[in-house]
Amino acid sequence: MLAVFLVYTSIAGGTPQLRPSELNGRTGEVALVGKVVGRVTGDARGNGLRFRLRDVEGTSAVPVVYRGSVPDMFRTGRDISLKGELRNGTFVGKPGTLVTKCPSKYTDKKQS
Amino acid sequence: MPDLGRAALIVCLGLAVYALVAGAFAAWTRRRRLAESAENAILASFLAALVASGVLLSALLRHDFSFVYVWRHTSLELPRPYTVSAFWGGQEGSLLLWLLVLTGFSAAAVLLGRRSAPSLLAWTVPVLGAVTVFFSFLLVAVASPFATQAAPADGLGLNPSLQNPYMLAHPPFLYLGFVGLTIPFAFAMGALAARRSDELWVVITRRWTLVAWMLLGFGQLLGAHWAYVEVGWGGYFAWDPVENAALMPWLAATAFLHSVMIQEKRGMLKIWNVLLVVGAFALALFGTFLTRSGILSSIHSFTESSIGPWFLGFIGVVVAGSTALILSRLPLLRSKTRLESPVSREATFLYNNLLLVAFCLTILWGVAYPILTEALRGEPVTVGPPYYNFFLKAFGLPLLILMGIGPLIAWRRASLRGLGRIFAWPLGVAVASGVLLLALGAGSSIPGLIGYTFCVFVLASIVLEFVRGTRARQALSGGSWAAAFAQLVGRNRRRYGGYVVHASIVLLAIGVIGSSAYDTAREQRLQPGESMTVRDYTLTYRGTTQERGPNAVELRALVDVERDGDRLGTMRPGKNSYPAEQQVSNESAIRSDRLNGEDLFLIAEQLEPGGPVFLKALVKPLVNLIWIAGFVFVGGALIALWPDAREQRRLALRYGRAEALARA
Repeated sequence: MLAVFLVYTSIAGGTPQLRPSELNGRTGEVALVGKVVGRVTGDARGNGLRFRLRDVEGTSAVPVVYRGSVPDMFRTGRDISLKGELRNGTFVGKPGTLVTKCPSKYTDKKQS
Repeated sequence: MPDLGRAALIVCLGLAVYALVAGAFAAWTRRRRLAESAENAILASFLAALVASGVLLSALLRHDFSFVYVWRHTSLELPRPYTVSAFWGGQEGSLLLWLLVLTGFSAAAVLLGRRSAPSLLAWTVPVLGAVTVFFSFLLVAVASPFATQAAPADGLGLNPSLQNPYMLAHPPFLYLGFVGLTIPFAFAMGALAARRSDELWVVITRRWTLVAWMLLGFGQLLGAHWAYVEVGWGGYFAWDPVENAALMPWLAATAFLHSVMIQEKRGMLKIWNVLLVVGAFALALFGTFLTRSGILSSIHSFTESSIGPWFLGFIGVVVAGSTALILSRLPLLRSKTRLESPVSREATFLYNNLLLVAFCLTILWGVAYPILTEALRGEPVTVGPPYYNFFLKAFGLPLLILMGIGPLIAWRRASLRGLGRIFAWPLGVAVASGVLLLALGAGSSIPGLIGYTFCVFVLASIVLEFVRGTRARQALSGGSWAAAFAQLVGRNRRRYGGYVVHASIVLLAIGVIGSSAYDTAREQRLQPGESMTVRDYTLTYRGTTQERGPNAVELRALVDVERDGDRLGTMRPGKNSYPAEQQVSNESAIRSDRLNGEDLFLIAEQLEPGGPVFLKALVKPLVNLIWIAGFVFVGGALIALWPDAREQRRLALRYGRAEALARA
């Protein structure tokens, strides 16, 4: 019974995790994981921070716009994940969901 | 030097193999002398691990960059304490710390066990040997901390976010807790393998679990405080997979510490208890595996390393081996007694266990969900904080109320009239405070209101227990209240230590509820001279200051804080820029109110010298009770752990016969 309960909630509350190359016409909220490439422009408090997110291992990329708080570690070259949805070819991030990762080193500490 | 380290690890592996093979053979054929030599091998493996750790530590302190590990995790300018902490700042070093703690605990278990339960050690030693074989093998063959190279001039340095005093305390406490869970596992398996049907292993295991559980719990709170003061998002726990990895074994151990009392007093739940011990150990291994395998994406970052499959294999061996052993010993584990009534002490313990284990499984499911969905549907699906928070309320609130009911209810069978008499006071106090809280506006969060009412109920019942016990003791022996109180606690350490731990959990709950259900967050763009209000605070942005620190440029916003017309001072949230690492770190400002435990938490974003600021202000009522709870928790656990000569004698009387029989 517990298992059924858990499955039910997970399906209702889960967020799929995708790479930019898998985004392709997908609607609904997803978590996007990738590497920040190119120049980061704009303002996270104004019209939004704009950058491109590429597959960590791969070439396809997607433009992203994000408003909200930005972690200290965020910059070009970092691996990040953020939630949001695709609108007219641009991935629109949900405020407060941007999280940076730093897979180059084993550490035991939060980065967000 | 690196040769000495490598040799020490190989010796450690050899000793562990000997403890496993010779110990198992000795236990099988009942050879006393051989069993003692296997025990000595465990003691010697600790010395070998100590030598290996000494080599690494001295290499770190000498900045010997010919050690790849030292080069990768330190630099010449790294302050000394952080140079020491680099011991566990990397993969190989932290595995060595595992081994050191493991062999240290094993040696202590052997030395203490020789006095209290020599016959139990026979099969326990090979189990300890097996776990040590695994870790020393990893260090010898897969992830050696003693790899060398031509020494570069300087090292790569430690990640700036790890250069924090908490780095010195938080990881070692977690390791002590994780590894400590090995000893209960070894004793449980040892007792099963030896076909012991008495409860002696339970008594020994309970103390070891208590030690590991206390360290693990305290380590987690340290981590939470680290996150709160340093990471600067205003929270302390984010249901991140790595945080969950430490919480799961702690929950399983909590369940065990409760259900073990049922086995001691009533001879019930034997299978369940063995399963909990195995579960806690397997979850500790799983936690280590999660953080090392790179299988999950977490805010905590790790390299994907080669040891993941090894860990998975070892967890498989542990689970399969212990399941097979339990199945083959099922007749031994049958309960002699049955549950007599659903309203009794043992029944409330059972409910508490079901809730704790259900919550533990909920978290396990959430952590494993991305892996499962990726395997089944081809894309990982994650569950976020809403999922965990829902189940925290669904399981946590009933657990809270049980904490008030359980200790007061009678064993075996409680009458409803008796219940009314016992609970009249706590219930009355709780309802009255619930109404009062509602009048004060706590109704803005219904789960919060329920939680607080439950908290009052539990606290009232704990106070009632202390008052009743003290009064009874005073009537018995006369003397002052204080003396009677001290005697009461001193003579029933487990019981009253347990109540103190319960009180700490209530404090924790009050802090968590206050800071999550009743917090306020405001965000506003301010020009210099402008003000904003949050709750009853008025915040005025005065401008910026900029200073050069030792290795960073420190930019701060000056924010004057007022409450009800009183000036409370200036807070300085801002950011540090580290030119060398090309990194910026947010420095939040926290003002704690000593009187009501409330924090005002300020984060300055988009800050430029002299320009406007996006000020994020959080008011977190009662959050400081969480940190106080940590110390109360350790205090209570220490009271429960403190050796009690009277109890030792009682145990010796009860189990002396079993010992004599098993040795014959």
